Amino acid sequence: MAYIAALDRRDMEGWLSCFADEAGYVCITRENHDAGLPVALMMDDTRARLKDRVKFINEVWSGTFEDYATRHFVQRLDCRAGTNGRFDVQTNFMVSYTNRRGGSDILVTGVYEDAVLIAGNDARFASKLAILDTVTTPRYLVYPV
Amino acid sequence: MADSELSVRWPAAYNTLPKDVFYRRDVYDAELARIFYGPEWHPVAHRSEIPNKGDFKTLQIGEAPVLIVHGDDGKVRVFYNSCPHRGTQLQICARGHTKEIECPYHRWLFSLKGDLLGAPGIAEFSANFKKEDFGLRELRSGEFCGLIFATCSDAAPELTEFLKGTEDYLGKALGGDGRLTLIGYQKTIYGTNWKEYGDNEGYHPPLLHRAFRLLKWQGGKGSNGVTEHGHKVMEAEVQRPQPGFLDDHSLVEFRDTSTPPRSVIVSFWPMTTIVKHMDVINVRYAFPLSPDETEVHYAYFAHQDDSPELYEHRVRQASNLLGPSGFISLEDGAVFSRVHGGSRGLGTVAFQKGYADKPLEAPCFVAQNDEASNLVRWEHYRKSMGFARD
Repeated sequence: MAYIAALDRRDMEGWLSCFADEAGYVCITRENHDAGLPVALMMDDTRARLKDRVKFINEVWSGTFEDYATRHFVQRLDCRAGTNGRFDVQTNFMVSYTNRRGGSDILVTGVYEDAVLIAGNDARFASKLAILDTVTTPRYLVYPV
Repeated sequence: MADSELSVRWPAAYNTLPKDVFYRRDVYDAELARIFYGPEWHPVAHRSEIPNKGDFKTLQIGEAPVLIVHGDDGKVRVFYNSCPHRGTQLQICARGHTKEIECPYHRWLFSLKGDLLGAPGIAEFSANFKKEDFGLRELRSGEFCGLIFATCSDAAPELTEFLKGTEDYLGKALGGDGRLTLIGYQKTIYGTNWKEYGDNEGYHPPLLHRAFRLLKWQGGKGSNGVTEHGHKVMEAEVQRPQPGFLDDHSLVEFRDTSTPPRSVIVSFWPMTTIVKHMDVINVRYAFPLSPDETEVHYAYFAHQDDSPELYEHRVRQASNLLGPSGFISLEDGAVFSRVHGGSRGLGTVAFQKGYADKPLEAPCFVAQNDEASNLVRWEHYRKSMGFARD
């Protein structure tokens, strides 16, 4: 929930803090994923790339893109405990977006396949894979999903 | 409305364009007929997207659905994706594999060459019905470095003529010899007119794309121009960006040692663009959905001779560098739709940088950071549409 709250606030540092020290995030379409085509929409598969994603949004692109507000709606489908506090979690998501003119629509929908590390009260992603059913996005994505 | 009634006021000044061509529905409808279904060629697939016999892909030329099929004789054919009986779309997925092509509606069956093999109840058809008259409607097609082109028009010149002046650039952009492997797609819709999408130029990159400044990254020597058929070609030596800004500098590293570090772009008239930048090999199939929307399919490729390390590098670079959400390209999408929003503001727009108050002749080469050569494309557009200058 900290993850989607951070994204819906457009708080990229908050987004980054949801990941473990060694972690990766990949956002890929189902079309590529199911065909064994590895290219993703965002392949932040190392800590360095997660940090770069924050820089892209906060430093590189700021002031040029048309901003939009998102709301992430999620529904957990499955959660399996592994060893050393690791849980494999599968979660449906639907993300709405609202543009500057105030119109809203669905941005993307799909499923997360995550590995979560839980230690005490702290839960962070070791890996997060967002598989989008949406193949052709209705606008360019700025923020991770 | 008859075509002859279509009227657009075109300014006399050579560097000036009317804004209403970016949103008028009547202009758009005429563009489909005169440009997209007219005497131009359109890239529709690379052979590596349909590498095996029986593989197919679907796409659009303008708004017309097409089906690209790798035949069992090894030839790639392009058909209208529409049953010659009642017009049903024959394939609806983006890519697939099949032995024959069957229309689901009345189960007419076609070979991969497009021949009608059989139709249920054929004995009760008109006495004049001949199977050979009802094969799939095939478009003229041709191939260069594995890239398949098609045209809807008998009036289009030979493909070799259409490509004139792009061959060297296209070969380099397609990995030298076109022996590619598909590694994936990124697809999006831009809220912009197709001509705004295609009107990028050399003036904007160091200004719009902050990444170039942050990386202290400058282009080197090169060429930048437009061919006589309206295709933009660009080649530039690229200096290696300096490390420091990115935590993962591999995103902007050249690791393919088989070619010198350079950027090569061929932007075909009317739409599709082929880009080789850093180690990314990218074909951007594009088609209009309406006067206000343009869909782009970014197809990415590796080379068949890549080591596993270079293959992985291309995948990681392709994913984050040049697409709709790419590090150095997201802002392009942002300005496409901002330009379109502004085009409603009546009046005209004009190209300035590199323009010397006189018409330009194709092929036209300008300085790397000039924009004036796009006017050669606009002249091709104006003539194709039959608009007279004031």
